[in-house]
Amino acid sequence: MKIWMIIAGLAFCLAAPLYSQEGEADKLNNAMSAALDVLYLDAYQEYSYEQRQAAVKVLLEDNYDLTVIIRRALARNWRLMSAQEQVRVTDLIERLIVKAYIEGMAGQERPEIDCGKTIEITDKRIEIPVVIRFPSGKIFNVVYRLGRLQSGWQIYDIVGEDISMVSNYRQQFDDHFRKGNGQELIEKLEDLLNKGELDASTKL
Amino acid sequence: MQAPSSSMQLLRWFVFSLVLLVPVAAVQAEDDFLSEEDLYGDFEEEAVFAVSDPLESINRATFKFNDFVYVKVMQPISNGYQKVTPDPVEKGASNFFANLGYPVRLVGNLLQLELKGAWLETERFAVNTTLGIVGVRRAAAQFERLQPRQPEDVGLAFGAWGIGDGPYLVLPFLGPSNCRDLVGLVGDRAVNPLKSPYSVIEEYQWQLALDATEVIVKSPTLLDIYMQLKDGAIDPYSAMKNGYAQKRRSMIEEE
Repeated sequence: MKIWMIIAGLAFCLAAPLYSQEGEADKLNNAMSAALDVLYLDAYQEYSYEQRQAAVKVLLEDNYDLTVIIRRALARNWRLMSAQEQVRVTDLIERLIVKAYIEGMAGQERPEIDCGKTIEITDKRIEIPVVIRFPSGKIFNVVYRLGRLQSGWQIYDIVGEDISMVSNYRQQFDDHFRKGNGQELIEKLEDLLNKGELDASTKL
Repeated sequence: MQAPSSSMQLLRWFVFSLVLLVPVAAVQAEDDFLSEEDLYGDFEEEAVFAVSDPLESINRATFKFNDFVYVKVMQPISNGYQKVTPDPVEKGASNFFANLGYPVRLVGNLLQLELKGAWLETERFAVNTTLGIVGVRRAAAQFERLQPRQPEDVGLAFGAWGIGDGPYLVLPFLGPSNCRDLVGLVGDRAVNPLKSPYSVIEEYQWQLALDATEVIVKSPTLLDIYMQLKDGAIDPYSAMKNGYAQKRRSMIEEE
């Protein structure tokens, strides 16, 4: 009896981390739905463009540590920047991601999100396939790659239609840092954020 | 000697388990998480994903030219086309031109000795052309056995043979490519009876009309993809270069 209980205890202890990924697909689904709510629910209709940006940013930060994916995209270039530049660049990229999301959805009807079954790559890495269906008939296949960190499961890459976001941004940063530096990157990001903003009254 | 009570036994088991499990859990805690090196080190496919771009300055100039053509010329035409064309007509026209791409897909499959794929493409073409009225309706989609595969072309076949990408190229009007795919594109045109240089259409103006219509019909989808990659990019040229290379390599690997 004692041996049986110890074995059961050990098995539970060893298996617990594996089971803890089970809620990740639901968490991702909820986070994506909540981000869509900000754009489509009547409750947010009076929100200005900036308020929407802020709401989506808070939502993302509450659910995931975006620094992980941003730092991975910057890769070796991260070390080429000062600590202040790293903080500033991270913040600007977060805002750029949110801006691209909000502007990308402008004029589109609310899509349906279908999170598939979690695929375990290793005990520290999982993938969640997501199908995004727009009422117009457009379908996007996206795979969210998550890694197990001390802070919980964090998104470390997003692969949309076979194109890795981390790899794509890494190429852009590599090309920038071949000739430029952190300060120039900050200026570039600020320019991107300041240009072509949607009008506050724009209905999505 | 008195036998230990059951509560005593439980307590012993608990202490014993704790002693045994705490070190196991501690060791596991370290191993259970991705390390800094795992996450941020130079690793995985992203690190080795390199795109050769020795003609960058020329490519960037061509990219700028294309961007002007796409945004200032094609986008308004595409918007106008979408505005005046009812959705079913737009879809039918898109299906029609997709069906005409059959010879390229067929040859792409045959070059890779994908006989199953070649046969499937032939069946789909036959069904779409007949039941689907010259390809306007995607009639083959109604049959479970005839669901579309990844579209093949000559460039993908070269890739499957092991021929590398070669230097990255931005072609005027056509956009991102590479040396291998440029040769593949010449092959695609050579096997397509509706494209020059071996087109069955003899009249120059009819050929031009067909090509122009095809461009307009395909433009909404192509511009949509282009704008998606461009939006949110820090350097649209680099984003496009990497996006094109990733997509083509993934298509080759999937075969």
